[in-house]
Amino acid sequence: MTMTPRLRKLALTAHVTFSIGWLGAVAAFLALAVTGMTSQDAQLVRAVYLAMELITWFVIVPLAFISPLSGVVSSIGSNWGLFRYYWVLVKLLITILASIVLLVHTQPIGLLAGAASNTTAFSAELQSLQFLMVTASGAAVVVLIVLTILSVYKPPGTTRYGARKQHEQRARS
Amino acid sequence: MADLASDLDPKGNTQTARAPGQGSAASTPRWVRVLGTIMVALVLLFVALHLAGHGFAGHTPLTGGGRQP
Repeated sequence: MTMTPRLRKLALTAHVTFSIGWLGAVAAFLALAVTGMTSQDAQLVRAVYLAMELITWFVIVPLAFISPLSGVVSSIGSNWGLFRYYWVLVKLLITILASIVLLVHTQPIGLLAGAASNTTAFSAELQSLQFLMVTASGAAVVVLIVLTILSVYKPPGTTRYGARKQHEQRARS
Repeated sequence: MADLASDLDPKGNTQTARAPGQGSAASTPRWVRVLGTIMVALVLLFVALHLAGHGFAGHTPLTGGGRQP
């Protein structure tokens, strides 16, 4: 299923936009998480965790689904395919893993936002969650940068499925 | 998950994975093995940390009250 060049470009533009938007939103989240953990200003800390919850549910989570989905559409609609080249396959697997980890971490974000709206001081348990938010979002930024590097450099390697498809195409032509 | 406007089609490219058949299908490329090893290690670390209670698992919600989204 190959799309027309115009449609492929549109799908690719959408995928790049969503993917870079995802990276930017996670970077903003990391900045808020560091501020929330290090600031001495109680009001600022409360505002930070409320903002983090909003960013999570209204920006990061939607992009975590839309970005891989747009990538799948873009790859299937082009000659790259989804399973023919290792870099495409590896990107897909990493993205799925990252999305699962993100969903797992929405729970502590909710806990911190709940505490921020109800209390002035965080318990020791919540302080460990503050640290978790910094490490998790820092790791997410690294993972998303790795995905970007894979997209740009496209390291070599054809899967067995891809090689078989190429062989079939050559035999037909 | 193909990216960048100039990379809409692998056939038109000359570098790395862009030239079909350039990468050997007989063996998995080294970069895939390295990245795969790192990924597996990170996943195991993540699971181990959470099982050991260093993640958020096992934390009771809030000392000062709170809510979940």
